Amino acid sequence: MEDWRRIDIDSFDPNSGRLTNDDLIPPYAHHVTLQELQPKIAQLRSLATSGDMSSATKLATEDPPYSADANTKAVYFQAVLEALTQVRQADIATIVKQLSPQQQDVLVKYLYKGMSLPEGQRQGGILLAWFEKLTQSSGVNPIVHFLSDRRTV
Amino acid sequence: MSQSLRPYLTAVRYSLEAALTLSNFSSLEVERHNRPEVEVPNTSAELLLQPMHISRNENEQVLIESSVNSVRVSIKVKQADEIEQILVHKFTRFLEQRAESFYILRRTPISGYSISFLITNKHTESMKTGKLVDFIIEFMEDVDKEISEIKLFLNARARFVAEAYLGEFVY
Repeated sequence: MEDWRRIDIDSFDPNSGRLTNDDLIPPYAHHVTLQELQPKIAQLRSLATSGDMSSATKLATEDPPYSADANTKAVYFQAVLEALTQVRQADIATIVKQLSPQQQDVLVKYLYKGMSLPEGQRQGGILLAWFEKLTQSSGVNPIVHFLSDRRTV
Repeated sequence: MSQSLRPYLTAVRYSLEAALTLSNFSSLEVERHNRPEVEVPNTSAELLLQPMHISRNENEQVLIESSVNSVRVSIKVKQADEIEQILVHKFTRFLEQRAESFYILRRTPISGYSISFLITNKHTESMKTGKLVDFIIEFMEDVDKEISEIKLFLNARARFVAEAYLGEFVY
């Protein structure tokens, strides 16, 4: 018998209450696939190219694909990043003010995600401008929500 | 302060303010231990919160990892060329060797970053949280200035030495 005193018996107990990373992901009834998301991405792109940045931002931050797999999220994120970086610095403040608190929570998730990836880091200046305007309008609230929210974008 | 530095520092300030709400928390694994949960491998994933990346560009980044009783702040200082890489390494090493007197400084930075701070609930209980945030922001402001100053001194000294040495060979 190996060193039985060191065996962690709690980890064998299903009722021990210990949680792994998988346990923290909320149960989703339906997993969004890339095909289902394509129309939304196309709409986002067309809004961004037509210059209607306010609607594009609202669309991007409305109902993000929390339940999708990593690949789908990456594709959607790319579209959101393109939309966010096309906004002129002067317009950011007015667009942020039009967002609801829930949309702002989603926006801050995309900003943090953008700054953690190399393609977003190249656009660091504009993402930081978004971040600054967001904190000016609603302070520390969206960030606190981000910290404890287990639904990732 | 330059135009793009201000939003960067604002983002770090707000993120730190949100993260620095720490409470005393005993270890779930070891009896009568109280350890920073962000540092130890733990089997309870709910103790760790979402990590926050803040980056100005590829070379200047801050990573804030928070947990129930500790926050780890890692800073990547701008290193434009090889001289700056050496200077940043020497400078942060100098500070890290004296980590005892800095309280919140971590002895080794986590990989990919120049310097790390570890703030636990002990620190937020004995010091003012606002001042801790101010300290880190001030550190980030000063370290860039310091490095570019040292670089200028280094170049001036190198020029002086080269002139004195090569002056021998001028006829």
